[in-house]
Order: sequence, then C-alpha cells, then structure tokens
Amino acid sequence: MTAWSFLGSKTLRKDSLAKVSGALKFTNDLEVPGMLIGRIFRSPYAFADVKRINKERAERLGAVVITPDDVPQKLYNPRLVSVHEVTFKDHQVLTKRPRFVGDPIAAVAASSEELAQRALELLEVEFENIRKPILDPFEAMSPDAPPIHERIMKGDKWVEVKNNVGAELTYSEGDVDEAFKKADVVIERFFKTGRRYHMQLEPKAVLCVPHTDGSITIYTTTQTIHNTRILVSQIFDLPESKVNVVKVPIGGSFGSSIQTNVIVPIAVALCLKARKPVKIALTREEDMYDHVGFSMHFRIKAGATKEGFLIGGEFENIIDIGAHQVQPYPLLGTSLGWFVSLYKWRNIRYVGRAVYTNKVPGCAIRGYGAPEVTWAVETIVDELAEELKIDPLEFRLRNYVGKGDIFWGQGPTVRSVIKSDGVPELLKEGSELIGWSSRGRPEDKKGRFRRGIGVGRGFHTSGAGGPISGEVIDYSGAVLKVNEDGSIDYITALQDHGGGTLDAHVKIIAEALGVPPELINVVWSDTSTTPYDVCTHASRGTYVGGAAALKAAEIVKQKIFEYAVRVLGRVVNPEALKIRYDRELKQAVIYVEGNPDLKITLKELATIAWQRNWGTIAAVVTHRATSAPPSFTVWFVEVEVDTYTGKVRPVRVVAGADIGTVINKDLAEGQLHGGFAMGWGMAVAEDTPYNPTTGELLCRGFITDYKIVTAQDMPKVEDFKVLFAETYEPTGPFGAKGLGEAASNPVAAAVANAIANAIGVRFYELPITPDKILKALKERGEWFE
Amino acid sequence: MSEVRPVPLNLRNSRILPIRFEYYEPTSLDEALELLDKLGEEAKVLAGGTDLIVKMKMRALEPKHLINLKRIPNLNYIVSDSESIRIGALTTWSDLEKSDIVKNELPALYDAVKAMGSLQIRNMATLGGNICNASPAADSAPPLLVYDAKVKVVSKQGVRVIPLTEFFLGPGVTALRSNEVLTEVVIDKHNVSVGSAFVKISRVATDLAIASAAVMIKLKDGILEDVKIALGSVAPTPVRAKSLEAALVGRPAKLEEVKQYLNLLEKDIKPIDDVRGTAWYRREVSKVLVYDAFLKALNRLGGCSL
Repeated sequence: MTAWSFLGSKTLRKDSLAKVSGALKFTNDLEVPGMLIGRIFRSPYAFADVKRINKERAERLGAVVITPDDVPQKLYNPRLVSVHEVTFKDHQVLTKRPRFVGDPIAAVAASSEELAQRALELLEVEFENIRKPILDPFEAMSPDAPPIHERIMKGDKWVEVKNNVGAELTYSEGDVDEAFKKADVVIERFFKTGRRYHMQLEPKAVLCVPHTDGSITIYTTTQTIHNTRILVSQIFDLPESKVNVVKVPIGGSFGSSIQTNVIVPIAVALCLKARKPVKIALTREEDMYDHVGFSMHFRIKAGATKEGFLIGGEFENIIDIGAHQVQPYPLLGTSLGWFVSLYKWRNIRYVGRAVYTNKVPGCAIRGYGAPEVTWAVETIVDELAEELKIDPLEFRLRNYVGKGDIFWGQGPTVRSVIKSDGVPELLKEGSELIGWSSRGRPEDKKGRFRRGIGVGRGFHTSGAGGPISGEVIDYSGAVLKVNEDGSIDYITALQDHGGGTLDAHVKIIAEALGVPPELINVVWSDTSTTPYDVCTHASRGTYVGGAAALKAAEIVKQKIFEYAVRVLGRVVNPEALKIRYDRELKQAVIYVEGNPDLKITLKELATIAWQRNWGTIAAVVTHRATSAPPSFTVWFVEVEVDTYTGKVRPVRVVAGADIGTVINKDLAEGQLHGGFAMGWGMAVAEDTPYNPTTGELLCRGFITDYKIVTAQDMPKVEDFKVLFAETYEPTGPFGAKGLGEAASNPVAAAVANAIANAIGVRFYELPITPDKILKALKERGEWFE
Repeated sequence: MSEVRPVPLNLRNSRILPIRFEYYEPTSLDEALELLDKLGEEAKVLAGGTDLIVKMKMRALEPKHLINLKRIPNLNYIVSDSESIRIGALTTWSDLEKSDIVKNELPALYDAVKAMGSLQIRNMATLGGNICNASPAADSAPPLLVYDAKVKVVSKQGVRVIPLTEFFLGPGVTALRSNEVLTEVVIDKHNVSVGSAFVKISRVATDLAIASAAVMIKLKDGILEDVKIALGSVAPTPVRAKSLEAALVGRPAKLEEVKQYLNLLEKDIKPIDDVRGTAWYRREVSKVLVYDAFLKALNRLGGCSL
C-alpha cells in the first residue's frame, strides 16, 4: 500500500465547527432587507381542474399573488440530466390542472409568514372535474382509466400519453425464452417496494433576490447549482449570465434536491412580480407533498442450470412515478443497468414503464432504483441457490459481474470495463466475521426469538461517465489557485450533501501538492464563478469531482515547477522537480531528489512570484470521466425475529465496501452506518400510503406518522463491523471510487434474506412490517398461544 | 362528484401557529380558574404543548383563547406518604424519569416514561397534559389505570376527584368540564404493587404505540390475589381488560394460566386500522403485550412462580 501524506488519515471536517455550533447558515437562515415570505397554494384535490381563481381578497391584504396566468406558459422537467431529446416535460410553474394533492396552483408573498398564510387562506379557488384519484399504476394503465396527462413534451416535440405511461424503455439480448427452456430451474416472482420519503434534515427552501439590471441571484437547497441556473434561464427566457445560483450548505438530500426544486421557479416568478427578494421555505408537511421516492413493481423470471450458472433473466419494471415526471426515463435505464450489472444473465429481456398516478411526484432516492432492484435480484438469487443446493455465496461468485466484464450500471448508453473488484475478498472476510457457515437452516430454528443471517451484494457506479456521449450528461470542473502566501483556494460548483465530498477533494489536492488541508480553502462559490458541474449525484462526487480537482492540481503543480526552476537556478527543467509535504515545516516543499540543498517551500515560491510580478499560479479545468466504475458492497446482517410480535431487530452487521483507495476512513464508515439505517428503514418500516378517496397522504406529511429509524433502532456500535477491500481503481483519483449509494444499496436485500434465514418466509412486498411477519407465521400455523 | 372532499393542507403551517387567539399566562391557579370560568368552551389549557400546539398547527383545534399554566407555581411535584403518591399535573416526563419514587414504587409508570417519545418531548410534555389529551395511545394511561389512579380536577365551583377509569370518554374526550383544570394525580398505595410493568410496541423506537399494555399483580401464596390489566391504542380510550382480570383473580400465578385466558381480551378491546397498524395486528399483539407485561411483573416480584 502506498504511504499517503493525507489520504486515509483522520482530519477535522472543514464545516464541522460551524455545523456543531449552529453557526452554519442554510437557505432558510438567510435574510435580506425588504425580503418577502412566499407561500404556495396547493391543490386540495388529487385530480381536478381549476375553474376560477379570485385573488382580490389576498391582494387587498397587501400580498403579491401569482396564478398560472402570471407565469410563463411552458412545460418543463425539473431535472436536467438527460440530453434534451429524451427529457420529458409535464411540469408547469403553476397549474390549472392539478394532478395530485399538493400540486402548486398559486402563490403569495407578503412581509411575514403570518401575513402570507392569511393571504393564502384568502385565495378563492374554484374547481371542476373533480375526479377520484388513481393511486395504483396498474389501474392507471387500464384502457378505461382517464388520462392524467393527455400530452406532454419530449424535448421539443409534443407526444400523446397512452395508458398513462409517461416513458418506456425496452431492451433484449440473446433469447430468453430459449434459455428458460434449457434451464434446470426457473423462478418467477412479483415484487413491490414502498414509496419512501427522503426525510432529509433540511426541508427545501429558496431565496430569490432581484437586481436593478434585471438579473437575479438565487440561494436554494440544491444538489446542482448549474442545472438550477439553466432551468430558470429556460423557463423565464433570461440569459444565463443574468441568473446566478449561489451554493448554500445543504442539510442532507439523498436525491431529494437532485432536480431543481419546483419552489425555485415559483419564487423567481414571485420575485420578478414583486421586484423584491422572496423566500419560500417549505414546512416539513409541505416537503413531503413536494417529493417522495419512486415505488417499483417488478416481475422477475430467472433461469439457471444445475451447474449453478444463470442463463436467462426477464425483468418487467413498472414504476409508480406519481403525477409528474422528475425525469424517470433514466431510471428505466438504470433499473435495467442495476439488473444486468449484478449478474451475468446471458439472455435478457426487459420492459420498463414509468406510469403516472395521482400521487406526490417521485424523484431519485439514494441508489436510484438500485436498492429496490438489488433486493429483488438478491432474493431470487438466494432462492435459485437454495433450489440448486449451492451455497448462496458460491452461486454469487460464479455469476456476478466483476473484473474484466463490461459494466453499464447507469444504463445501456454508459458502458465501461471493470478494472477493480473487491467482491471475492469481501464475501470471504465478511462471511467469516458473521459466521456464515454456522447460520443454520430456518426449519431447525425454534423458540420465540429466532436469528437469521442474510447476505446482500451490490454496487453503485461512480458517476455516469463513459467513453461515449450517451443520453446522460456528466462532467465537472474545478478552479484552483495558489495564493500569494502559498495557501490555496479551491473553487467548485459541486455540492457537498453532508457526506464530506469536498473534504475528500481537499485531501486529493493536498496529496497532489503536499499542501496541508488546513491551508486549502473551499470557496462557497456560485454559477458565475465556476465551470459547469452536472450535479452531486450518482455517487460521483469523489470519483468525478475529485478527479477534476486532481486534474487542476496537476496543472498547478507543473506551473509551480516552472516557477521553481527560475528560483532553483541549477535545475535543468521542471521535470526534475518534485513536491511533498514537509511534516516539520507543515507546508509543501519543492525539491530535487538526491540534492538536499535544492529546495524551496511553496510559501516562499508564491511570495517571490508575487513580488517579482510573475503572475498567479492557477488552473481552470473541465473534466469528463470516461468510466463509471462500480463500487461494490457486500452486507452481512444478522437479525432476530420476535415470532410473537413480528418485530425484527438487527443484531450484528458486517458492512464490506470496495471503494478503491479510502480517502476519509471515518467519513466512509459513517456513510456505511447511515446507509444501513436507511436500508433498514426501507426493509422494515417506510412507505407513504394514501387515503383512497381523497388522495391525501395518510401521514398528512407529518413525521409523527412517517417514521424513520433512529440510533435507538440500530445495532450496538461494537456489533457493526466495517471492512474496506484492498483495491485500487486505476481510473480514479489516487485509486478512489464513490460510496454514497453503494453504502446503502444491498442493505434491504441482506435484511430480507436474513429474515428468510430466521423464519423461512420470503416477503415480496416492502416494507416487511410486523403484521406481515405475524400473518405469515400464523398462516403457517405458528402462534404463541 | 361531491364525494371527493378537499384536503385542508393549505390551512396547515407547522412553522407558525396559523390561527389567531388570545394568550394568557396566569400566575396562580385561582387566576387560571377565573379565566376558564369566563372563557369556557372557547379556551384551551396549555401545559407542555406537545399535543395541543401540534393540533393547532394542523388546524385540528382552533381555540380562541390559550391559557398557559406553566407560570403557575407548585403544580410540579411528586410526593409520597404512607397512604398515597401524589403527582402534580405540570410534572414533566423528565421529572418522572428522574424520580426515585416513580422508579421504585411505580415501575409500570417508569417503564412508560422510558418508552415515551424523545428526550425533547420528555422535557416538555407533562403528566397532566398526557392524561387530558386523552389519546387512546397515551403512554401514561395504562400504568395509571392499573394503579387505579384518581385525578383531582378543580374549578371555581370546587374540587372533584375522578377515578381514571371514568375519566376517558373517547378519543380526545374526557370527563373534564370546560371550566376545570386537572391539578393532580393521586395513587392510593393500597392499589400499588411492585409486581407491575408496562410494555409497548411501536413502528420504531421513538414513536407512538401501535398497542401497549400494563399489568399489576399481587400474589398470595402463589395465587393471583389481585390483577389489573390495561391497554392502550386498542380502543377509543385506554381501557381496562376487566374480563381477563376477572378470569385471572384466584388463579395460580403461572404464565401458562395467563395464556389460557388471553382470548378474553377480545371482549375488552375494540381496535381499528390506522396509519400505525391494523386492527388485526393490534388484536393479536395485545395478547402478547399482556403476556410480556405479566412476565415482567412476575419477575419484579422475584419470579417466584415461574
């Protein structure tokens, strides 16, 4: 292993003091003089049309009011990630055709929250064509179901929506039917996932400030400042140079702000009309009516030979997208990507449909379909192995997609070849730590409390880059400049969701230049001063953003060497120089190997360059990754099922991660702990059911009744082991890969498999709640009486 | 099409109290009672606010007047004498948690305190508030019911002492009149046994109960001399399981005995489906909760009859 100066060591996070002291300002903490507070009038009906809006009484109160007639009549998609031709548009800034309870119809702005609330309540909105909500995607696809949207736009073209299917993707490889004929075992299963809410700590907020030259500045909760700028520019016909989006600290996201939040154009419209700054901050209950994750219905048919090789996989994927498209089209591609890149099916047939329902729009949620697909596939793979009487670990090793294989996790247009793979190592070490071989058979387990061990294996990509420009946009940029005292300013558009992505970048720069992290400043930048970055998503922050930072650091290093040659007179050329961190001087030193007298600190060099008018050492780069390597994770989970109450408790966890070089070990471990909590919630607790008549969320948006797990539900810290594989990704910055989503993707799978190992029951519908478990046990004739 | 009713989500705003009301901070009980007598039905009494304020934000309640009791001294106490334990209505759950009296003498209530809410909620919420809010899921109710607790309610007209079994009338509905304030919970020590326990099942650790149960037993020569059983979240109010109690008194204090009679619970409870759980699950799990509480109570008596 390489001896790093900074990578892998524990350092204080740059934002930690501000965070723990409460000093850090999030969007809703921002205040500017003359600022108005905005509130959104949301549809009280799931499926209706607006007949008339009377805003007189609200305006008489002094509020600024906007209705659909006051905003650009354009359809848009809040998520700009796909190329234009496959971007599906059905959103309006404000709508007269609300399609879910919560759809924004009008908005008000007033000098205080209380006044804005009163104005909101004075709006008179009349509705017509009030229909019963369609809450089930299969009902929505039936021929007699009313259309939720009649036509939408795909790129610049109008398209008719048929059977409420908003987008579709099909794919096939080989001959699946023939493969199933040849297979010794064929299993077909139907799966259904919950529709989870992200429960990011910070409810979404936006502040829009107008300027006298017609330009605006936007502060908002977002994973992508550049796409926010582009979208606002498109909707309001403003040149991008007149829209500046400032990066503001974000209180977690998990995909909830992967798109430009729909409150942004509403705040912009209010701001342009009021000619005053306007802030909108969602309450928690509004936030839950703003976005949730997608729920997915799968049919998977899988065939294998008695030798233990998969030979066919058929995958039908119905995604309940809710009332509007937050670009589920690439999710149709990634779902397939997760499926084909988990195992070598050899023959594949896929159909994916994104179906409208009158529900809160679904957007990406950590893993972008991978936790769901992985749960289903890992269930079926376990079942196949059982049927074939092959150890499930061995079956996985024989069939998984690994080193040297073609990999396209992010969909058919994003292909590359796997170069680093820690799966065998993690399966072996993890299984030994958890005690896999002595996990026993469910039929032998007796008594009230039964324990079971399950495995879940998966991955996530590191970004969505590739050698060929496909349907997905993915590139980043960085600006790096050496200040006059040798300290460094690092400027990037890339957002840090709280996982410490930018601290990873700092370490990468520190490692490349020998400059200690405390001398590297991460500038809170904006769209005006940064090169484009698509978004912090797809677990690309470290791999793509870090590579951009490294690229800039390499350029800066060359310039440092050019300047150093001028000072260190006898050196023949810049190539003769090296740079390293000097632990005693606590700064970077430029030196010539074997010539201890030939050296200068970066601080001295930068000062000389300034005093002698040589100019600033700086670099601006843009970076497109030509690969999106998988970060593999292997989870072993031991659970205990209370067969009297159906409650499940995590007992022990072994989290194995292959993320290449580990840049921030404690933060990476933290991601895995958090990933487990999120996956556990997905497996046993989380869903957003609806009132079938009104289309209202049963929890009404209140966290009293949307429960996520807390530390109290987690295993003891000493029972949670983290393993990092000893791998090096040759395409990554210093050998690193991503982690954010891989950290969670196979958790639900491992939990479900552990429950099956404990009680011998498989569940095909998430979450696996106590009542489902109890019902299953009772049906089997087991009951404590 | 009038069957589809509008969802009042535009009325809700949890960042503020989106309604207008007059606010009062009386500094004595007499002052508070005077106000209540005058304002009547249109006033609401505020203690910890962990239920009331939420309901106001949700627009489930829109009181014209809000009377904050927290400035009234001497309503926060836990005292024990030879006859009884008395707890002031403004005693917070954190106070209960720190009390040795609760911990040592009222173990079922102590279990409930430990299982209730988050630290933040326990710091704010009061015992009186939890009772007066009259949620079927109120964690304090099953333990207090098995201890046969009484509540003291006061108005300008005088004092009433109401057994808790007669206090809860429906979800959010109590025997409290609009001009009355609950000031004290009284537990007669003759009704208390260390052989008591509370258990609860919820979706996650920090949560309202899907169902809960408290059991109190007194033994004589291995025979159940006294049995009190109460459940939460399985009926419109917290309820006593009188059929099961009656069947168990005089039986040997053995778990197998208890098990035989658990089906009698179905007579005592009326669970419903809601966002937290199904009626079916509540019915099934109630039996387990009573069984578990019984086991825990027996163990607290030394597990002598196992």
